[in-house]
Amino acid sequence: MTGRALAACQVSASYGSQRVLDRVDLHIAAGETVGLSGPSGSGKSTLARLLALLHRPDSGHVSLDGAAVTGTRHQVPVAMRTRVAILFQSPRAATDPRLTLAEIIAEPLRATGTPAEQARERTAELADTVGLTTDLLTRRPHAVSDGQLQRACLARALVHRPAYLLCDEATAMLDASTQAHVAAVIGEYQRRHSAGVLVISHDAALLARWADRVVDLS
Amino acid sequence: MTTTDPLLAVAGLTVRFRLPDAVVHAVTDLHLDIRPGELVAVVGESGCGKSVLAHALLGLLPRNATVTGRALLRTDSAGSRSGSAGSRGGSALARGGDGAAPVDLLACPPRQLARQVRGRVVGLVPQSPATSLTPVRTGRRLLVETLRAHGHTGADAPVAADRLAVDVGLDPADLDRYPHELSGGMAQRLATALALAPDPPLLLADEPTTGLDRPLVDHTLDLLRRRCDAGAAVLLITHDLAAAQRVADTVAVMYASRIVEHAPTEALFEAPGHPYSAALLDALPQRAFRPVPGHPPMLTDLPAGCAFAARCDRATPACRVQPAFTGIRAGQVACHHPLERAELCAEVPA
Amino acid sequence: MTAAVLTRVRRLPRLRPGRLGATVAGTVLAVAVLACLLAPVLWPLDQSAIDLSQTRLAPSAAHPAGTDDLGRDVLLRSIYGLRVSLLVGVFAALVAAVIGGAVGALAGTLGGWVDRILMRLVDTIAAMPHLLLGIFIVAMLRPSLGAVVLSVGLTHWLSTARIVRSELLSLRHRPFIDAAVSGGAGRMRVLTRHLLPHVLPRLALATTLMIPHAVWHETALSFLGLGLPPHLASLGNMINDGRGSLLAGAWWASLTPGLVLIVVTLALAALTAHWRDHLDPRVRAELQL
Repeated sequence: MTGRALAACQVSASYGSQRVLDRVDLHIAAGETVGLSGPSGSGKSTLARLLALLHRPDSGHVSLDGAAVTGTRHQVPVAMRTRVAILFQSPRAATDPRLTLAEIIAEPLRATGTPAEQARERTAELADTVGLTTDLLTRRPHAVSDGQLQRACLARALVHRPAYLLCDEATAMLDASTQAHVAAVIGEYQRRHSAGVLVISHDAALLARWADRVVDLS
Repeated sequence: MTTTDPLLAVAGLTVRFRLPDAVVHAVTDLHLDIRPGELVAVVGESGCGKSVLAHALLGLLPRNATVTGRALLRTDSAGSRSGSAGSRGGSALARGGDGAAPVDLLACPPRQLARQVRGRVVGLVPQSPATSLTPVRTGRRLLVETLRAHGHTGADAPVAADRLAVDVGLDPADLDRYPHELSGGMAQRLATALALAPDPPLLLADEPTTGLDRPLVDHTLDLLRRRCDAGAAVLLITHDLAAAQRVADTVAVMYASRIVEHAPTEALFEAPGHPYSAALLDALPQRAFRPVPGHPPMLTDLPAGCAFAARCDRATPACRVQPAFTGIRAGQVACHHPLERAELCAEVPA
Repeated sequence: MTAAVLTRVRRLPRLRPGRLGATVAGTVLAVAVLACLLAPVLWPLDQSAIDLSQTRLAPSAAHPAGTDDLGRDVLLRSIYGLRVSLLVGVFAALVAAVIGGAVGALAGTLGGWVDRILMRLVDTIAAMPHLLLGIFIVAMLRPSLGAVVLSVGLTHWLSTARIVRSELLSLRHRPFIDAAVSGGAGRMRVLTRHLLPHVLPRLALATTLMIPHAVWHETALSFLGLGLPPHLASLGNMINDGRGSLLAGAWWASLTPGLVLIVVTLALAALTAHWRDHLDPRVRAELQL
């Protein structure tokens, strides 16, 4: 494996006694969009969590731009963690109901020590990118729709300009228009930053349209 | 499509929510007929008010909601529908002795709704099955209880439970598990079986496929279709256009609290009449994969006239007046400048 | 948006059956607290004064709840007793919240063997009768307000620890925590910004629910003669002292402090339960459907 890429190398993972991934390889090169399909329970989400460095594989390893990653979650250096962003299926579960959309988007910046003023500017810029109007930014998750909340999650995912973006059924709960918009925003970001994108979906038409190549996990 | 009278006739349904600082226009002047054997899908962007429609029909709106209009449910229909559920005699309401008087779901007292309508005459296929199942009972007990409550005898119910399980694609052996031991898809099938158990003449499915993978989505949809073919009327509310295309007879497109177009499925997907329908279809990955330009308006702050005008490339000053859409027949478009097909389909027989 | 609207709608106040009960409970509690606060100003009491000419007088205008075997006004002493009991209750509940919160937070965030050891400790202490443990603690110290607070606090933090821990465990694996970790938040940031704010309302609730428990515990200790020095008015002391009068026909000497204890703790519990129903969206959702 050469060049910039996020890769899972022979990873296995299990929950309790149930093995969900058995020596799986997946390679996402910079600038590439990889589709991932497979029946439910085939370990698609687990693979995404492994690649997002949120879960430790039982065996095998994840490599980020050629370097094998050891450890998981907080054990991974911040600079490495923020190179990979993940977008979940349910934006409600993925956001803190106490925070406003602006705080949700700015949180990764604040957590890594960016001054408030700078974070505010970047939040406004990102909100504009994902198509959130300013009046929505002061609301909390319960007062916006799933589509609007997922846009906020996308803005948060892009806040550190990640080199890789993992979308775990990120548009499954969205209507066609919002889905197309989210995909367009990600596509534009990808072109600009030559980012690697993983799209997990059970919608064959979506993968055919969006991904450069599709990996079936079954 | 049948030529019978509608089982459910929704006329002028309007729902408003009073908030401390605003009024939410959730559903406005909605007309919709559903006949026995017909599957009607309501589609639209999130926040267009389609879920509120389902809640209104079930009488499950919060107390600050104001509902006007009528939703007449024919109560004699189920009796005339035979052969769909094996050896059962009469429908729940016919047994209840209500005769042929239609029930207005919007004016029905809550007690009557709860005891005689919800579940019995109007079945609900829920959105999140995992939370709608009692965790301390096995699937079999839930199902048998429901069947007994709806006229099956003690001896007959377990057999019917097994049959129903097979019907929805569940292994009867899985009925002996508790809800938390079931996968999401199995729980969805169990919830569907529970909704089908009383053999309701009208089924309401509110986003029944959210979170399911493709085979299960198809399975659930096909199940609704089969129910429909057996004589039930189904109202499918979904954000998933592909789902509507797969099973619906007619599709109503909802935008900013109103139905803007209601057309036979094939016609809608081939040649949409309303610019919004066309834009929404264009967002599909199979097509242009291009989002509808602009943003949907807030339901608390709808513009006068056509709510889509601001996003529409065909808009003219005429669009400042709300286009009429008072008809209740499939094939109509609420637009001053409809696309080609509209004239063509104005003739579509109901 | 629909879901959003519905949720917003649910936050509106509305009349529920629990509302009346909560109003009554609130009024009772307000009167009790006000009486406790104003008593030293309005009706000063010399705790050690006795008047043997006025023993065991039946309730009258001068003594609304009668007098006890040493000629002391029962109502006034009950109010002073309640002062002490509430004071002990509040401080003991705070001690329990601090200990329980710390143990629960450690177990819930660190997990692994720390969690296992701390929770076994909790189970072990929970296996011993509270009162026995409380007596043991008081017996080691001199009878004083501080000793009673410690005794109650040290025996009542277990449920708080369990609540905080389980709350943290269920939060720890929610996607929004994953998102925070992925966004670069450190351990402290996740704990202070994302976990604790969700736990704090729960902790506050548990602490408030603990106050009536603590009041009863203090009363029990005083009744057994292990609480405050006997000359100081405390509900437990008074109920105990009143036993002699009870045999002499002066039922009011024990009944009044007993009633005050029951009414005030019930009001406190009712008010807390009402608060919980409003606080907990899960309970709220169940009430809606």
